[in-house]
Amino acid sequence: MTTPTTKTFVRSLLLGAACAGMMAGAAHADGETIAVFTKNQTNPYFLAVRMGADSAAKQLGAKVIHYIPTKPDSIPEQLSQIEDVIVKKPDAIVFIPVDYKAMVPGAEKINDAKIPVVNVTDRSAGGKFVAFVGADDYNLGLATGRYLIKAMNGKGNVVILEGVKGSLTSIDRVRGFNEAVKEAPGVKLLSSQPANYQRLQALQVTENLLQSYPQIDGVLAANDAMATGAIEALDGAGRKALVVGVNGTKEAIDAIKAGKMLATGDYGGFNQGCLGTQTAIRALRKEPVKTEIVLAPVVVDKTNYGAYDVPLESRTCAPYSMN
Amino acid sequence: MSTLDIRRPAPAFAVSQDLVRLAYRLLAAGLICLALSLTTDAFLSFANIINVLRQASLLFFMASGLTLVILTGGLDLSIGANIALSACLAATVMKATGSPWLGGLVGLGTGTLVGLVNGVLVTSLRIPAFIATYGTMWIIHGLTYYYMAGETIHGFPPEFRALGSGYLWGVPVPVFLMVVFLAIGSIFTQRTTYGQQIYAIGANPVAAHLSGIPVMKRLVLVYAISGAMAGLASLVFLARLNSAEGDIGDSLTLPAIAAALIGGASLFGGVGTVSGTLIGALILTLVLNGMNILGVSANWQPLVTGAIVIFAVWIDIKTGGRSSEKA
Repeated sequence: MTTPTTKTFVRSLLLGAACAGMMAGAAHADGETIAVFTKNQTNPYFLAVRMGADSAAKQLGAKVIHYIPTKPDSIPEQLSQIEDVIVKKPDAIVFIPVDYKAMVPGAEKINDAKIPVVNVTDRSAGGKFVAFVGADDYNLGLATGRYLIKAMNGKGNVVILEGVKGSLTSIDRVRGFNEAVKEAPGVKLLSSQPANYQRLQALQVTENLLQSYPQIDGVLAANDAMATGAIEALDGAGRKALVVGVNGTKEAIDAIKAGKMLATGDYGGFNQGCLGTQTAIRALRKEPVKTEIVLAPVVVDKTNYGAYDVPLESRTCAPYSMN
Repeated sequence: MSTLDIRRPAPAFAVSQDLVRLAYRLLAAGLICLALSLTTDAFLSFANIINVLRQASLLFFMASGLTLVILTGGLDLSIGANIALSACLAATVMKATGSPWLGGLVGLGTGTLVGLVNGVLVTSLRIPAFIATYGTMWIIHGLTYYYMAGETIHGFPPEFRALGSGYLWGVPVPVFLMVVFLAIGSIFTQRTTYGQQIYAIGANPVAAHLSGIPVMKRLVLVYAISGAMAGLASLVFLARLNSAEGDIGDSLTLPAIAAALIGGASLFGGVGTVSGTLIGALILTLVLNGMNILGVSANWQPLVTGAIVIFAVWIDIKTGGRSSEKA
């Protein structure tokens, strides 16, 4: 698709969103209803997104209803939730597809129902959206990887713990890790193994890698749960290595505070929830929105964890900015 | 071996026959070990063998309790969810009270309670085991997800962590426990009336009932044991990982069922041993260990796992370790 058509397309979408907004404004004097779709109830990341969405809606006087598949990341369940939501007709939808390809029909159903929808976190492979809000997994992986390598003084052996095979987040984060390793001639990648974002698998995979490699200086984990699993394996074997993860979870912050973990790449779940919901509400209220917000990668370490070391409940969204 | 004469007290030679079967079953695991030790130096070291055993222990705890259920012709799909709930509740109590004993008790108690509920559903309400435990799986998942709300509980007292990462006479505590439970499980199933009754129920529940075996009570017992073992697994999990979250059990149920079946148990009931299940758990663990050590690419790992599991059972059938029509 060429740029001009994309622009027209977004403009017409915004117009559509604005129309829907006016109608909604008439119907719901006391605030719009935003349906927020997340992938599961188990990953702390999506909890952060939901809290961000709640905070944004509260600030702007709107109402949020959450839709979460009971079976984590279930494609059929999210699809049927979309069908239910279309019947209920919320004013707007904030949408994290459980699968960026498989949920395209779901996104199209929302489009057919003419409900404005903001795509968050995982970029949908199809469908029309008011805006996309997300983090760049590749750059986040790259920044986190570079941070680790710098802490290793640019030399030593590293291993990579990959997430769920085929998931965009894992593919891109691991690509970023690999790029960071490639940049450093003194760093050798010993092995890149899958641990499916699972703590136990990460523990076992790391234990196995420790058996075959007498010297591991750094561990690049594609999420924090795997990073903490790796830390337990290292502790158990009495070995030392610098460990980084991705997501900026509470647990990772605690591990950084305790000096057990080097750093975590912040995926900005709370911010994504804020921005996605703010974008949806602004579009409904005919206020200008950015059609593409990609959060800059932030690496959280012992020098800057302070801002993350607060319970999600007491965090509030930053005001929306067009810059 | 499908028909079991329960009136006959287990004679001495029965043990040796069991041992012969066990040896056959070990063949597949042995072949994997041989292949790995020929291809990499890292495999055949004391440290790595201990490592493999420790990794297999968690699977064994789940799968051994499950084996009893499968012996009766039932199934327990709730063990993974049970581990998550038991671990999260044990973690909460431990965090609140600082007492590893109280936490451990809550973990074991929760596991057993879930097992008892399964047992009652299967016996008193006559709900098929697959449906009953599939139902409890979702109920427990729901409760756990709701309770944890995506949070993680972490950081437990060192005396509790010893259960997962400590050593006893040079042997990791989970491995030590695995040997203890292997002995208890084997004696219970092979050498006690209870155990023989469990085999009889699986072979033919009607005949078992007519011959005076309290079928309902034994069924409740095996589901309770399966739940209790899930509770134990949850504690070892907590102690090893030092943290609890709502989804920890999600990926554990199917491998546990697979371990029991690879080890020679039959979903039709009446066939299988706890020692066989240990070998099943070892084979699954060895595959992962081998792939990690050899650095097999993520793209090939699922394929290799599947192929080796099928190969292992084929060897078992070929060498007469199991009767193929019942397997």
